[in-house]
Amino acid sequence: MIVMAGRSDRPTAQRWERRVLAWAWGCTLVALASGLVVVGAQAALFEDRPAAAFDARAIGRMLLETQSGHVWLVRAGFLVLLAAFLSLRMSVERRADWRAARGQAVLLGIAALVPLAAAGHAAAVEPDTARAITLDALHVLGAGIWVGGLVPLALLLRAASTDAGADARPYAVLAARSFSRAALGVILLLVITGTTLAITHVGSVAGLVGTSYGRLLLAKLTLLVLILVLATLNRSVLLGRLGGDGPTIGRPAMRRLGGFVIVEAILALAIIAIVAAMSVTPPARHQPPFWPFSFRLSLAALDGRTVEATRALIGSQVAVIGLVALITGIALRAWRLPLGMVALAFLGAGAGLALPPLAIDAYPTTYLRPSVPYQAGAITAGAALYQASCAPCHGPRGAGDGPAGRNLPRSPADLRAPHTAQHTAGDLFWWISHGIAGSGMPGFETQLDEEQRWELINYLRALSAGYAARGVGATIERDRRWLVAPDFAFTVGPTPARALKDYRGRTVLLVLYALPGSRARMTHIAEREGTLATLGVEVIAVPIDADPQAIRHLGPDPRIMFPVVTEGAETIVATYRMFAVAPHVEFLIDRQGYIRAVTRSGGEAGDLDALMTQVKQLNEEKIATEAAPEEHVH
Amino acid sequence: MRAWKAVLLIDLALIVGVGWGYAFWGLRATRFQRELAEAQAAAASGIERQWVVDGVVRAIFPELGVIVLTHGDIEGYMPAMTMGFRVASPRVQESVAVGDAVRFTLKGVLPNVAVTAIEKIK
Repeated sequence: MIVMAGRSDRPTAQRWERRVLAWAWGCTLVALASGLVVVGAQAALFEDRPAAAFDARAIGRMLLETQSGHVWLVRAGFLVLLAAFLSLRMSVERRADWRAARGQAVLLGIAALVPLAAAGHAAAVEPDTARAITLDALHVLGAGIWVGGLVPLALLLRAASTDAGADARPYAVLAARSFSRAALGVILLLVITGTTLAITHVGSVAGLVGTSYGRLLLAKLTLLVLILVLATLNRSVLLGRLGGDGPTIGRPAMRRLGGFVIVEAILALAIIAIVAAMSVTPPARHQPPFWPFSFRLSLAALDGRTVEATRALIGSQVAVIGLVALITGIALRAWRLPLGMVALAFLGAGAGLALPPLAIDAYPTTYLRPSVPYQAGAITAGAALYQASCAPCHGPRGAGDGPAGRNLPRSPADLRAPHTAQHTAGDLFWWISHGIAGSGMPGFETQLDEEQRWELINYLRALSAGYAARGVGATIERDRRWLVAPDFAFTVGPTPARALKDYRGRTVLLVLYALPGSRARMTHIAEREGTLATLGVEVIAVPIDADPQAIRHLGPDPRIMFPVVTEGAETIVATYRMFAVAPHVEFLIDRQGYIRAVTRSGGEAGDLDALMTQVKQLNEEKIATEAAPEEHVH
Repeated sequence: MRAWKAVLLIDLALIVGVGWGYAFWGLRATRFQRELAEAQAAAASGIERQWVVDGVVRAIFPELGVIVLTHGDIEGYMPAMTMGFRVASPRVQESVAVGDAVRFTLKGVLPNVAVTAIEKIK
């Protein structure tokens, strides 16, 4: 702030400068002292025993072996330097001296503040850790400049508005103006870096309203809006008056501005308290969100509903007109008020038209992510639960045709239907847990534990995916990835277990075979295995009868080198038979883990060149850097 | 002394100090890493080593003296995979057939290793 205000010869200004420096020195000491407390607390946290806070060796380990310890050391070092520097009594009569001394203080301050970014949540962001830390550092720096400037500014305005401080009034006016200018830029920086960081740490609307981190962020934003409103008022009303005629306009304005700046500083302190709470709260992205509303908005609601789709389209266009009007209103000074009114009216009407058709019922668990992965073991476990608890009404194959379901108020849902796109896994979780009122669907919260309910949901997902997979044939559809291959674990003899997931990045030919029918085909594949390997294809053979002696029964001729599953075949077969049933089935799974082609046969030798053509096409596709399929919610 | 000179001096001292410390530490770290790598390489080469690993017999080439095994992790040599190994003597592969779960002994100076013994498990 002092640097922003510049040097002054006026006694009041110099008195103020000394006072701010004393404050800064005090704050540095407080920061150091609180740093000591934090380091003790952290040592206790890492060692998981409170006594470690007073154990020099534990603290030493924390400081030397963890990244937050390193950051603490660097920051503490700079803080000590800063405190020492501020306590030096240097002569700053000359301009160059003054600049050097104050600039040095600012540099040390920045050096002590910015490394904070490397010890926060940003340091745990994967990938792009460096980017997150840089953004966080900029955010912290901006906040430091802005919040740090508020208190000195208030002090200066107070001092200059008294009778005794009249000599510093022009200086204070200039200082307030330059702070106001700088603050505008800093706020812009804070908003940009803050938004980017929020996207990284929160990621979704559900995360924002449904987790404690997101709610803290909302509270922080509310306070920020308050400050910004206050600052805008100050800037537009009071700042212009500062230079006005001393006693009648300038001084009262200055005093009032000083008061408002103090209010801003208090709000900023509240924000910092919230930030402190956020820094010890896990980011929203890593927390299960609880959706607080009874509906959500989704474009999936419009599937196959023409009237509503048209309504939503018209509404969105109306809203766009409103938006254009709003932007024009901001750009044009003269018509601002009427244009703003029109814009708000259009925006409101557009939202009123477009949003209701998009609404879908939602529940607290709607955005909950499955805690059980989409994996063959979970699917088969879910299948058993389904047959016991759900099949009586929903039917043995999920068609909604179970005998017990006939007399219910509403006929049970056909679980194979494609409308699952409208429902998240979290929706299903809610219905299975609590039932559906008035339909006859009971809740299973007391009968099935959480893991079992998720297993059931994984089974339902495989059920509807398998039903949709009926249409998948032996040729791939270019760039159409939608059928996720459920992960599975398997072992070959006494070797360590492997998973399908381990093969991500390579094409997998999953062969479900049965001897003796498949003999010809297996021989053919074994003979061409070298060519397949050159094309980047890994073959995994699974005996449909789950024979633990499968390798022996395939025999020494021809020589088969690819993995033949001897343990885990049962769950793989049970799961993948939901997708295709034939005496011999081959699934072509692409490098990202999607089933792209399914060949059903009797196990005849067939034509391997056709398969090679499909693989070549897969190899020509670009791999998108999207999330792995098991992370998709539905 | 003028204040700006003092500030400049302090900063220079700081930069030199930090730079020297970093360079010193960095040099030591690289030297340490190199020594470690050399020590590891020395430990890995030139000395006869032996592993006992579980696996499955996948194919036998009696005429080549080679047996193909799907095996678990061979520590310090290779991860789990399917791979052909030389056998030390033809007798080694006579006792097993394709599909047998086996425990085999791999012995030799890298990369010249051979299966010296093999026995069925289960």
